[in-house]
Amino acid sequence: MSNETTPAAGAATADNEWITLLCDNGRTGGQGAPPLEAPSRARWQLRLGSSVRSAPVLDHGILYVNSLAGNLHAVNVETGRLEWKFQAAGQIHSTPSLYKNKALFGCDSGMVYAVNRETGAKFWEFHTKGEVWVSPVVRNGVVFFGSADGHMYAADAESGKLRWTEQLAGRVYSTAYAAEKNLYVGCGDGHVHSLDAATGKILWSTATGNGIDSSPALVGDTLLIGSEDFFVYALDARNGAVRWRYETGLGISSSPAATVDTVYIGSKDGFVYALGTKAGELKWKTRAGEVVTSPPVFSEGVVYIQSFGTMALDGTTGKLIWRAGLGGSVQGAPVVAEGVIYVAGNGGEVYALE
Amino acid sequence: MDRRTFVKRTCVGSAVLFLSGTDALAYDDEVQLPLPPPIDVREAPLGKRSPLGMPGLYPGRVVELSDARSIAGNRVSQPVVRQMLEQGMKELTGESSVRAAWAKFVEPRDVVGIKINPSGAPACCSSPELVREIVSAVESVGVPTENIVVYDRFGYEMDIGSYQLLMPPGIRVVSVQGDRLDAAGYDANVYCQAVFFGEWETRSYMASIVAGGVDKIINVPTLKDHSASGVTGSLKNIGYGTFNNVARSHRAPYSFTNPLIGVMCSVEPLRSKAVLNIMDGTRMVWHGGPLTQNQDFIYQAGILMLSTDPVAMDTIELEIIEKKRRDEGAPSVWERNQKSITSNNGEFYHDATKNLYYRQPGHIAAAGKLGLGVSDLKQIDHREVRMG
Repeated sequence: MSNETTPAAGAATADNEWITLLCDNGRTGGQGAPPLEAPSRARWQLRLGSSVRSAPVLDHGILYVNSLAGNLHAVNVETGRLEWKFQAAGQIHSTPSLYKNKALFGCDSGMVYAVNRETGAKFWEFHTKGEVWVSPVVRNGVVFFGSADGHMYAADAESGKLRWTEQLAGRVYSTAYAAEKNLYVGCGDGHVHSLDAATGKILWSTATGNGIDSSPALVGDTLLIGSEDFFVYALDARNGAVRWRYETGLGISSSPAATVDTVYIGSKDGFVYALGTKAGELKWKTRAGEVVTSPPVFSEGVVYIQSFGTMALDGTTGKLIWRAGLGGSVQGAPVVAEGVIYVAGNGGEVYALE
Repeated sequence: MDRRTFVKRTCVGSAVLFLSGTDALAYDDEVQLPLPPPIDVREAPLGKRSPLGMPGLYPGRVVELSDARSIAGNRVSQPVVRQMLEQGMKELTGESSVRAAWAKFVEPRDVVGIKINPSGAPACCSSPELVREIVSAVESVGVPTENIVVYDRFGYEMDIGSYQLLMPPGIRVVSVQGDRLDAAGYDANVYCQAVFFGEWETRSYMASIVAGGVDKIINVPTLKDHSASGVTGSLKNIGYGTFNNVARSHRAPYSFTNPLIGVMCSVEPLRSKAVLNIMDGTRMVWHGGPLTQNQDFIYQAGILMLSTDPVAMDTIELEIIEKKRRDEGAPSVWERNQKSITSNNGEFYHDATKNLYYRQPGHIAAAGKLGLGVSDLKQIDHREVRMG
């Protein structure tokens, strides 16, 4: 079991761990995992009875899925049966993160919860004044999250006690990237911010042309993020300087999955893009058929993404490898682990496809 | 009935009204369309109807502002939209100050709902840039930030439009239902009831946020054609955007959006609370509405329209869309030729001569006959303002 949602850069988690949005805070997705062939059957499917607007996470045989009904569900991946569920105070759009024996997530009534992963009992709750759609991320025992109340928060992951808070000028729906000393996060006012992880002090801010829903990824010292201003940005993580930007056809809510060579990201213009990480050149773009707001996941040679269904694209060419009409989602991302792809979506169904 | 009143407005009476001398339910030479069934309405006690409610303070007056700088490369310019909105509010009300113009519609004690139209996001929906300007204007009158609610029925469509993200902190951004079938956000005591196609679920309930959550509503529709109703403007955004279970009113190729749209708009307290319509015409969908993402049919028109009268506004909207369709060589939305009907969605979304339904733009005139506004073009005070 991983103790942090933030492994060292490039150190992908074990094949049976997928502990936060896009696997780990490095947004490494399924990197290192072998590509999946077109799924031929559902090992199981589970009807939650309420829409899923976040991504599932996985650790040691338990899939954790949040739903709009305000439930965190713990699902046994062998059987597809529910182990337990926790009722939050409001709808949940937040992807859970796992830290030690806790599942952490936010809800629309402004709470962030830490729930016992074994039993579903609540350890602590933290109150903000706006909905929390982001996935809390943990580094060095501190959990970081933003709220629609326009603040970034840092709290002790064990106790939920506030460490610091910092006011930003817009709502925060971007899940922060927690590096060793810095946080990186997008904001509804259109800025990308770097904050001191110890104090919350803003170190630099870079303006884009519209709000930022996208959650950043870091490759070396290059910070990658999308903006509702239609552009994908690569920023110098040290000072926020724009290294390159690439214009898509509409706004970007999707978050990047990045390797040293390639950044994969979707756009509301209906395309999935592959861009060079260093210079931002277009390698390929593939029409998904519908609006793409979910983040992609990249395993060895394959990009998986949910739109109105789930697709696998060749990572080198962008050609469609397979498409499944399951798992339609506006915010989710698939979990790819041990030869199985887990998807959940707007319809409130969870599938294990193999 | 407790505090509520049961009002039965069967269409036996109303239908006679509709059928006499109006195109609303006219028969076509080629296709004979079915007559609409009776619609029963149960609404909140009428009491005294608000003078601000439909058709509002300025019946028949429509201010149309155009500025080519308001949109470029699919990006809406908030500063230009602000200028258009300010100019439009002064023109609509005759006030010399923007604040005084807004004060005619909202008071500091009001809870103000801003009804957006996110269907069709992201290609064509109520622009967040415009909605932010409306929020700012409402705040300028003294309405506390926490008493401003940006809302629509469908949460997933609002998600695609990123409205939650793009509104200022403190504004409530609310969806009536998270799922397609989620009915918890509706008031069981206010509804319209009818059987259109033999469906089992015959009621459409009013959203609780309208029935009891807000005092005033500012309606922010978009400028679009609609495959079933002809156009989707002020009336459809506020009517079908307030009640659930409305898709049942159209089953290809037939549509009973006329008269259901107007009937829904007439139900209290919706009628009294909807005080102002601000149509976002920065983008115009002239075919494939309301959901198309096909940029071939989306024109960057650079228009904003303001009116308290949704019927007059939609009458002008219909004229604009008809002109654009003529310019593009597409048939009128009034056309009822069997050859134009397709059951193939792909064909509809790529061929402007094809449609899924016999459209019902007559719902606008029908709403006029219900007293919601002026549908006679000759009586509409259409004020065009060219800005940039």
